[in-house]
Amino acid sequence: MRTSQTLRHLIGPIELIHEQAGGPLLIFARFGIFALWIVKLLLDPLWRLAEMLREFFQPVGILALLPASALDALLRPAMLGAFLVMTIVVCGFAMFQRWFPLASTLAAILLTAYSSLIRSFGPAVHTDIVLLLAVYALAGFAWADLIQDRFGKKPAAGGRRCSYPLVTIVAMLCLSYCLVGLNRTVAGGISVFTGDTMEAWAVDAGLRGYYFNTDIGWRIPEWPLVVFMLRSGLPVITFFEITAPLCLVWPRYRWIFIPVMLSFHLLSLVLMNIFFFDDMLLYLLLVDWSRRFPALRAG
Amino acid sequence: MTTPARARLWLPPISLVACALITVLISCVRHLSPLAVTGQAVFLIVILRAFCYWPPMIRWIVSMPVAHRVVFGVLIGCMVLGHYTLNGRTYFPFVVWEIFPFAREDDPVTCREFIATTAKGDKVRLLVEQVFPSIVQVNPLDGYSPEATEHLARALAKVYNERHADDPVRQVDLMVMAVKLHPPPGESRAQPSCELLKHYDISSGR
Repeated sequence: MRTSQTLRHLIGPIELIHEQAGGPLLIFARFGIFALWIVKLLLDPLWRLAEMLREFFQPVGILALLPASALDALLRPAMLGAFLVMTIVVCGFAMFQRWFPLASTLAAILLTAYSSLIRSFGPAVHTDIVLLLAVYALAGFAWADLIQDRFGKKPAAGGRRCSYPLVTIVAMLCLSYCLVGLNRTVAGGISVFTGDTMEAWAVDAGLRGYYFNTDIGWRIPEWPLVVFMLRSGLPVITFFEITAPLCLVWPRYRWIFIPVMLSFHLLSLVLMNIFFFDDMLLYLLLVDWSRRFPALRAG
Repeated sequence: MTTPARARLWLPPISLVACALITVLISCVRHLSPLAVTGQAVFLIVILRAFCYWPPMIRWIVSMPVAHRVVFGVLIGCMVLGHYTLNGRTYFPFVVWEIFPFAREDDPVTCREFIATTAKGDKVRLLVEQVFPSIVQVNPLDGYSPEATEHLARALAKVYNERHADDPVRQVDLMVMAVKLHPPPGESRAQPSCELLKHYDISSGR
């Protein structure tokens, strides 16, 4: 009896994140997500892609549906610049409530094209994919609200309405981690967690360098403590990845998950030049703000 | 007098049937379905199943009007389906989620890179992701043909020189860098060991 009480005390409350979220929190989330996209776009000299060799261009996603002539036209400096400006402007409109379904849908299309474009010269890497899916969720639920208001027999459950996109975004973030962890465990097998695998990945990324280049990772074999940390850290991180869906329901787990995964992402930057700053900022949605601040609650 | 209510036929949940079927597939006819797919499917079904049994989740899903349920189902469903296509490009952004997905045993770890020499004699590393910051990542240079590698070296030098007219690049060397995963005790290097593979003269324009 006492054991079960202690266990229950340790586990703490089990409650769905953002279940009580109200309009203001959804507005903040929309604003934050589109602001993040705008910052990313403002920092990107997209027009320079016109000078990259066309022979390396292998269209990703919806770009593969376009004819070669359209892609040729798109890959000119003026067109790339115009496309960038248009995407920024549309994302700007999507930050406001007026015309949100239309503006967010247009933003989703343009951001999909943009994300496909910047991946068409290499592998379709995972940075900012969840951020793009978050735009899909915001747009999709905005249309669902509209349809429900116009054609539904009863108005959408007013109180819960704002929780739908927020819970969905958190679910997608957690699912992405979960799938990464499952893939590594099942497809990679036990050998991923033994031997030199993690050092090899880290040295490889450290040698290659990307936009961020700390020039540290290739030295890892000289540091036994870091080698130990990498080897022992991979199974731990994989465990947290697979169990990420618990973030949806278990507040105490989130307080372990957030620092562990933030440390992992920061170490990935330092040792492997890989920076998932979009995901790190999306961690703000792993805090159940509406339970802490009554002003953000529904009703 | 009321007739006794007939006991309802018990049927196992579809997800449990799916789990059992997949387990049989894995055990008996592994060659028909890759373990990477079936194994992950079992785990994922178990996780989703756990959520389906949790009352607040059910309450939340049930509270959704149909249109909202469709949006939720489509997004989560597409993510899962995209993952099982094992294809990272065609259905973007519904991609296969794989990071460090297989074991590596290469030792030493090698990597090709471009090291440029400027007119003033400085050494500069030309990274595609820095010259073209829009590009998140390119494929390793090892995978390109010699012609493509040369075209890339010249394109990088051209863009670099446009922004550094005061000290332009005169030559680009394709180097292969190597790092031993098990260096001899006490060995410490300031730079990884490197070997020249190819030399491209930029100033001649050839």
